Amino acid sequence: MSTRRATATVGRRESGQPPAPAVNPLPVSLRTLGWILAIGGAIGATAAFVLIVEKIELLQDASYVPSCSINPILSCGSVMSTDQAAVFGFPNPLLGAAGFPIVATIGVALLAGATLPRWFWLGLHAGTLFGVGLVHWLIFQSLYRIGALCPYCMIVWVVTIAVFWYVTLHNLTSGYLPIPVRARRAVAALAKLHTAVLTAWFLIIVALTGEAFWTYWRTLP
Amino acid sequence: MSGKIGATARKSTKKSSRGRTNSARGLTEPRWNSNVLFTVGLVVLAAVMIGGLIAISKLGGDDPAPAGSTAANEALVRSDSHKLSTAADGKVTVVEFLDFECESCGAAYPGVEKLRAEYKDKITYVVRYFPIQSHPNAMNAARAAEAAAKQGKFEAMYVKLFDNQTTWGHKQEAQTKAFEGYAREIGLDLGKFRADVADASTEQRITKDSDDGQTVGVQGTPTFFINGERFTDDATYEGLKAAVDAALAK
Repeated sequence: MSTRRATATVGRRESGQPPAPAVNPLPVSLRTLGWILAIGGAIGATAAFVLIVEKIELLQDASYVPSCSINPILSCGSVMSTDQAAVFGFPNPLLGAAGFPIVATIGVALLAGATLPRWFWLGLHAGTLFGVGLVHWLIFQSLYRIGALCPYCMIVWVVTIAVFWYVTLHNLTSGYLPIPVRARRAVAALAKLHTAVLTAWFLIIVALTGEAFWTYWRTLP
Repeated sequence: MSGKIGATARKSTKKSSRGRTNSARGLTEPRWNSNVLFTVGLVVLAAVMIGGLIAISKLGGDDPAPAGSTAANEALVRSDSHKLSTAADGKVTVVEFLDFECESCGAAYPGVEKLRAEYKDKITYVVRYFPIQSHPNAMNAARAAEAAAKQGKFEAMYVKLFDNQTTWGHKQEAQTKAFEGYAREIGLDLGKFRADVADASTEQRITKDSDDGQTVGVQGTPTFFINGERFTDDATYEGLKAAVDAALAK
């Protein structure tokens, strides 16, 4: 399939036609993708909501110990009170509380059988790309700058990465994102090994976390 | 993940791909496809690696020595350990493993100071270094304290570091300037202080302390031991006082 033809099919899709032949098959059905977005969005929204509530408690009473502050390493309190916890000048979970419900709603719409145009998918992709970028910056900050882990934040890391990965796969395999012919085999391979890629992604973060807090883990009873 | 449910769009997608017959898919597709195999493989590999690492660290003799054993008692107080006070009768010894940058240590500090003032010559108070890796200036602060100790001013630096913890703590940049400022304020020879801070033996001395901490099973800071027994209550003045009183009464 030439790139030109791919562009043409995209145009047709925007006019409400059913999606045309794509580059590679999406490894999961649209229905499964709908579930991933719905559940991922719901979990992310819940975590963000809890973080906001904890933040409010902390503001009301500086000596308040958040429910997720278990010890010096697993501690929301010390993470929440850093500058990094308010990158844009307001607490980060406000972004999550606004963004995750959108993800969940899109998921439910897919489950209801909605056919979404290319621009919509690209918009969702842009949103999740922003989320995944922010999350990785926060992971770096948490491991190497703050030196503490916030359990609720880690839940957000997991769902953000999963949602981003499947939206990316959808947009790559549907041809919504143009990919050069040379890259198609690589994309096909990644799509085929979709859960393996996601697992590897998580395991890398687990390994980095293990390394960063090695003294802590190994002194656990 | 057969991809068949309610998506006409998906069917046409599949037909065009790699010439696979759509209708046969799902039936002929092996249950254990390469994706599942790779995923399970990765998880198993990770589990084996983590298990191996744990086994190695256990075999390496890192198991905490049981409390009260000779090994544990030796590791708790070494001849070169810093003593803030010495009991006249040598009856009660309090050992604190601390990290100058840790917030809980800073929170415990006023209580410890009150206790120390009250039990001046009744208890031996030993401070051991246990800098936590993830605190950017914990090691630097310990170096500053050790360099001060080399000029006989450990206690003065210990006080300075905790009094000013919020000023220098939790900053990414090395707080050398702040520490040199404290050194000046407590009247140290700054040239010697700088040389000692940079000296490799200083760090070795600190690492020796935290190795001892791991030997006796210190998991975080602050960790207190009262006469060789780990103190598990809240590190408040009242909590520590109760434990010290109990030890004195024995």
